[in-house]
Formats: sequence, structure tokens, C-alpha cells
Amino acid sequence: MTVDLGQLAVAFAWGGFCAVERRGFLQAMLSRPLVGGTVMGLLLGDVQAGLYVGLLFELYHLGAASLGASRPENDTLAATAGAAFAASLARSNGAPSVPALWSLGVLACGGLGLLGRAVERQLERHARALAGKAEASAEAGELRRAVRQNLFGLWPFFVAFGALTALGSLAGQLAAPWERSLPLPLLRGLAWAYPAMASVAAAIAVRGANDRRGHLYAAGAAGVVAVAAAVGFWRAAS
Amino acid sequence: MRIPRRVLWRVYWRSLFLQAAWNPQGMQNLGLAYALYPALEVLYPDEAARSEALRRHLTVFNTHPYVAASILGGVLHHERRIARGEEPPDRVVAFKAALMGPLAALGDGFFWLSLRPAVGAACAGLVPWLGGWAALLFVVLYNAVHLVLRARFYRMGLLLGDGVLAALGAERLPVWGTRLRHVAAACAGGLAAGLAAQFGAQQPGAGGPLLGAGCLLLGGVGYWAVGRRLPHNVLLFLAAGLAVAAGAFL
Repeated sequence: MTVDLGQLAVAFAWGGFCAVERRGFLQAMLSRPLVGGTVMGLLLGDVQAGLYVGLLFELYHLGAASLGASRPENDTLAATAGAAFAASLARSNGAPSVPALWSLGVLACGGLGLLGRAVERQLERHARALAGKAEASAEAGELRRAVRQNLFGLWPFFVAFGALTALGSLAGQLAAPWERSLPLPLLRGLAWAYPAMASVAAAIAVRGANDRRGHLYAAGAAGVVAVAAAVGFWRAAS
Repeated sequence: MRIPRRVLWRVYWRSLFLQAAWNPQGMQNLGLAYALYPALEVLYPDEAARSEALRRHLTVFNTHPYVAASILGGVLHHERRIARGEEPPDRVVAFKAALMGPLAALGDGFFWLSLRPAVGAACAGLVPWLGGWAALLFVVLYNAVHLVLRARFYRMGLLLGDGVLAALGAERLPVWGTRLRHVAAACAGGLAAGLAAQFGAQQPGAGGPLLGAGCLLLGGVGYWAVGRRLPHNVLLFLAAGLAVAAGAFL
């Protein structure tokens, strides 16, 4: 099989940009799972895969936040790599985007949130060295050089997270022949796994909303939607 | 000593890089120094005075990156006075130290724990209707609040100096935060039911309603299990395993 280097390059660039946006520049939420995943899907030619992988990770990580010096799991890496995995897998097989592939993307890359956090911690060592260099430059009277060190903190994030995201795309391409050989019942089960995981992610999101009465609001909204859906089915059936 | 408007905008632009070199030792210190530097060049033409001013901002600094804009404005307010000889340099150091903790709590509570989850859950809930446009809506809605407030905080700091904390208190961010958290919870619950119904409807035969009901039940069990501190990733994989087994054998 051949590896599509263009897809790897696109995944690298968008994954790297998202890491920089999440961590060090702007923080306008372009790197949130819903946005980062959807754009990754768009760039790799499968918006649906990116959108639904991103949606699930958005719910899963909804309440996580970087408070003080604490670091949550890296939701951006999980979403962009998961979207790249699912989109590259679908494209390599020439297959339409289906929930079974989205589930594979989520299951393959869900653990990357923890890896991303570990990588961030390692990269903070580089930033600590930059701070030391800035202080030394300021002491020596090289003030412009001192403040410029701030921008040098961005590129390691771009390279490291871009590479990890590109690996997600590569894994998707390499998994294509394996996915084609999966038995139909298993694929059907994987398709069922998507809404099951989304329900659990929504439950995690309700807890993550940090609202004492959140369960009441969530149950109320779920009840209204479920009743509306049941009425819709009943009307369609009759 | 006046700081030209062009330089004030430059400081604001550079404040968007506040966390570029976040490190465990000085935290956002490099970002703060980087943002302030164009204004320090104007305020302190003398090299030694500028060096001294820069070094007092290379000490530990950490707060919420958006609300930091108000501290940045307040620092410029004080630095102007220091440059004119109207107050001693330790006033600006005390100003930063006094504000960064309370403003971090305010920003974390409103932006990270209320606005972001609410807009995220609401836009995720609109995915079945809007498709990929929901992601664009997320960016637009969130930043309509974020960028406007960030610029407003910066202006407040510049104009009010020490009075910025009282002015921020009048914004009633915690009250808005509580309302937004209700929205986040309701949208997450509604979305769970909506997805269960959507996927159930796509499933042919008797499996459809079963799938939908099973997903909702899993959501309820998931809510209970999260409260019992079961790790989230274990829960996700358990749900997937159950669904794969059910889908394969039913």
C-alpha cells in the first residue's frame, strides 16, 4: 500500500497550529475538539468524520480546564488525531464516512489526551530554559533579545503536536486494509458504539458543567427531546 | 509621558502571546515582559531605567490569560506614573501581586468553567441540524464575548489602575457564569437524547428503539459512575465494548 504524504503534511500543519493556538497564542478556541476536529476532517476531505469525532471529544472534555499550573488531558491532540485517523481511514478505503469509522477514530486516539499532557510537561522544560536565557540577556542589557525568547516557546509545540497528529493520519492509512477485513457484525457493533460513547460523554459533560443542579437541567432537556422524538416516530409510523 | 495609541494597540496584540513560553518557574513572566516591552521603550528612553523596568516584570506572574489584559492595562497605568516620578516602582509590583490571584479565579470561573462549556455544549447540540457550521458558530459566539471583554478589560486597566478590581466586580461575571452552567448541562442532556434518537431512527427493524433506549440508559449509568469517580476513559471504553457486543450479537 502507498502512504499519502499530502495527508500527512496537512495533518501535521493543522495539528501543529492547533497546539500553538491552544497553548500560547490567542486561545480563540480554534483548537477546541469540535472546531479542530471539524477543520481537520474538512482538510482531509471528510468533514463528517472530523465533525463527529470532534463532537464526542468536545463533550468528553467539556468540563476540563487548565487552572493555575494544573494541566488537563490534551483534548486537542485527541480530537485532531482522532479526526485525522478516521478521515484518512475512510479515504484510503474509498468508503463513505460511517459511524463505525468514527468509533475507530475515537477508540484509537482517545488515550492521546494523556500522552499530550505528558508531552506538554516535557516541553515546559524547554520554556524554563528560555526564561533563564531571558533573565541572563536582561542582565547583560540585551533587552530585545530577552523579550524575544517568549516567541521561541511556540515552535516545539508546533513540531511535537504536528508530528503526533500526522501519526494519527498515518495510523488511519495503515489500518485501512485491516478495517476492510473486519466481519460485518463487528462493524455493526462499532456503529452502535458511537452513540453509546456519545451518551457517556454527554453524562461526563453534565458532571463537567460544574452545576449543582445540572442533573435536573440535563434530565429535563433529555426528557423533552426524547418525548419529541417518540412523537415523531409514532407519527411517521402511523 | 503619554503612550501613543499605536503602541497601546501593539501591547494589546502582543498580550495574545502571553502564554507562549509558559514555564513552571516564572509562569507567564516572559509573556508579560514581551507584551509590555514596546510601551517600556516609550516610557524609559534611558537604557538603564528601561532595563530595571523590564526586570521587575520578569518575576513570577500567572493569571487567567484573558483577564490578564486588565492587569496589563493597570501595569501601563502605573508605569506611566513611575516614569513621571509620581510613585515608587514597588507600587506596580504590589499591584500585580494583589490582582493576579483574584482575577485568575474570576477568569477561570467565567471563561473556562462557564462560557466555554455552555457555548461548546450548545453548538455540539446543534450539530444534527447545522452540521459543520456548528463549529463555525462556536468560534463566532465564543469570540464575540471573549474578544470584546478582553479589549474592555485592557481599557479598564489603563484608565482605572487600582480601581480595576472594583470595576470588574461590577461586571457580575459570577452571576452570568451560573446561568451559563445551567445552559451547558441542559444542552449536554438534550444532545445525548437527540443522538440516541437520531441513531435509533437510522437503525432498521426492532433494533432501533432498543439502541436508542440503551444509549440513554448508558448515559444515566455513566452519570452515576462519574459521580463514583470511575475514570472517564475506562467508562468510555466500557460503553464502547458493551455496544460492540450488543451490535454484534443482537
